[in-house]
Amino acid sequence: MSTQKKRGFQIEAFRHRVVVDPKYAEKTWKILEHAIHEIYNHNASGLSFEELYRNAYNMVLHKFGEKLYSELVSTMTSHLKAMAKSIEAAKGGLFLEELNRKWTDHNKALQMIRDILMYMDRTFIPSTHKTPVHELGLNLWRDNIIHSSNIQTRLQDTLLELVQRERTGEVINRGLMRNIIKMLMDLGSPVYQEDFEKPFLEVSADFYRGESQQFIECCDCGDYLKKAERRLNEEIERVSHYLDVKSEAKITNVVGKEMIESHVHRLVHMENSGLVNMLVDDKYEDLGRMHNLFRRVPNGLSIVRDVMTSHIRDTGKELVTDPEKLKDPVDFVQRLLDEKDKHDKIIGLAFNNDKTFQNALNSSFEYFINLNPRSPEFISLFVDDKLRKGLKGVSEEDIEIVLDKVMMLFRYLQEKDVFEKYYKQHLAKRLLSGKTVSDDAERSLIVKLKTECGYQFTSKLEGMFTDMKTSQDTMQGFYASMGPEIVDCPTLAVQVLTTGSWPTQSSATCNLPSDILGVCDKFRMYYLGTHTGRRLILADKYGHS
Amino acid sequence: MRREETVKLISAEGFEFVIDKKAAMVSQTIRNMLTSPGSFAETEHGEVTFPEISTTILEKICQYFYWSLQYASGKETEFHIEPELSLELMMAANYLHT
Repeated sequence: MSTQKKRGFQIEAFRHRVVVDPKYAEKTWKILEHAIHEIYNHNASGLSFEELYRNAYNMVLHKFGEKLYSELVSTMTSHLKAMAKSIEAAKGGLFLEELNRKWTDHNKALQMIRDILMYMDRTFIPSTHKTPVHELGLNLWRDNIIHSSNIQTRLQDTLLELVQRERTGEVINRGLMRNIIKMLMDLGSPVYQEDFEKPFLEVSADFYRGESQQFIECCDCGDYLKKAERRLNEEIERVSHYLDVKSEAKITNVVGKEMIESHVHRLVHMENSGLVNMLVDDKYEDLGRMHNLFRRVPNGLSIVRDVMTSHIRDTGKELVTDPEKLKDPVDFVQRLLDEKDKHDKIIGLAFNNDKTFQNALNSSFEYFINLNPRSPEFISLFVDDKLRKGLKGVSEEDIEIVLDKVMMLFRYLQEKDVFEKYYKQHLAKRLLSGKTVSDDAERSLIVKLKTECGYQFTSKLEGMFTDMKTSQDTMQGFYASMGPEIVDCPTLAVQVLTTGSWPTQSSATCNLPSDILGVCDKFRMYYLGTHTGRRLILADKYGHS
Repeated sequence: MRREETVKLISAEGFEFVIDKKAAMVSQTIRNMLTSPGSFAETEHGEVTFPEISTTILEKICQYFYWSLQYASGKETEFHIEPELSLELMMAANYLHT
């Protein structure tokens, strides 16, 4: 049907009604005008839609569309002017309500008028590029009411006053506010922005500037942050209740700027309650709040990060260069671990595991650990102590945790080869004296070191382990082969060490008793029998009885 | 057919056609009429008068409504239009925005 309709227009020769009456247009319009009056007076029930629609249809069909349109404009304008008068007449608090009511009325009437004039909307308006009826209605409303000189300023003042009252704690009629704001939004985003949002943001900025000045004089950092956070949440809630969603970002910016950005330095460096104090006292909640608020402000977090970094470096440096603390290496390393734990916890709980903070922490640790040239040795001593006795009776997972922490400190070292040297010495002593708490723990640490630094680093260490194992096998073989002769001789446990892997030691000679020498010779023959081309040197220094 | 779901279309000669609301809504004009926020006489009584549409045309239009609903639900049948009716039918269609 619709495609046929288009063709139908071009055949136009046949007119099934001839316009005889020259005043036809006038008469038809009068009917429509009357109807519009009735609509605005809430009296529409007596009207017949079909009749009005037909009249409008006929007017447009007979080329009186122009007249219809212009008459419509003037009628609506005069109605709106009357409405404006009644709104202006409203006193005080009733102003907004009256405005709201008239707006609802106008909307309803507008829709009815649009339905009646649908034909004109469809055909006449696109071809003449005029504004459609609905938009026309909104524009006329905007021009005659919102931008009418009396109402415009009064509306703006009333709205801002209500917001101000709510900020000081009064309860206002939010539903009414919502409707009025929605009206402004419906009239178009420029209207909303010009008539409300811009002045709103300005007034808010002034308000918060004043309030922040007041607060910062009397509160300490933690309290101030609490207040700022509260105001921020309040604004967000306000937006969600009765403002345009797009305003949220703008108003939070304003609050952030006035309350936080202008005072960032003062807050962070505040005496007795600034950032450094919060870090020292583990004030997770305050720190978290600070992080949350400063996040909104450009450069806010970087200032926090910088202060934190310098604080950590200072405490670390103090720790590392204090001669008292350096007397006990195990304690020293334990303290380092504690510091690291403390700050990890802060970053985890308060700073939301922010990567940049983690990086800052790592770099600070790296800095001060390497200030002390004996750090690698101390760390190795710490491990040694743990593996000898510290981890006795501790469960496997806990062992892993301790070893992981040690690895973490290891990563901060710049002189990892120094560490390796000391570790090799300590490991050799442990293995040969058989004093290690858990073989598994040893191996697991080697694996970790391998993952961190590659095969080359740990090859010698692994070689030591392999030697121990091989030696056991060799010993079993030796005793098996010797048979009953050996029973009289003292029992010998030999560890065969590959020269390259183990730390060298000066060979101070030691005079061994003859029996021992005898057994040693037997072993030597056995060994050289099974492995040709090797030399066996007795390293007395490592032995023990 | 229940009272609430039907609407009465009255032709120029006074013939009354009772059809489903759903069928009538195929016409944009009738749809606006029935869903308009104002309380026009039509919505109150559930009947619309068309003093300029003759009975034969209105009958054909009602048939069209039903055919259109059928077509939309998948059955693709033909809708036959007698040539002598076609012009008046098209003018009515234009009026009813169908």
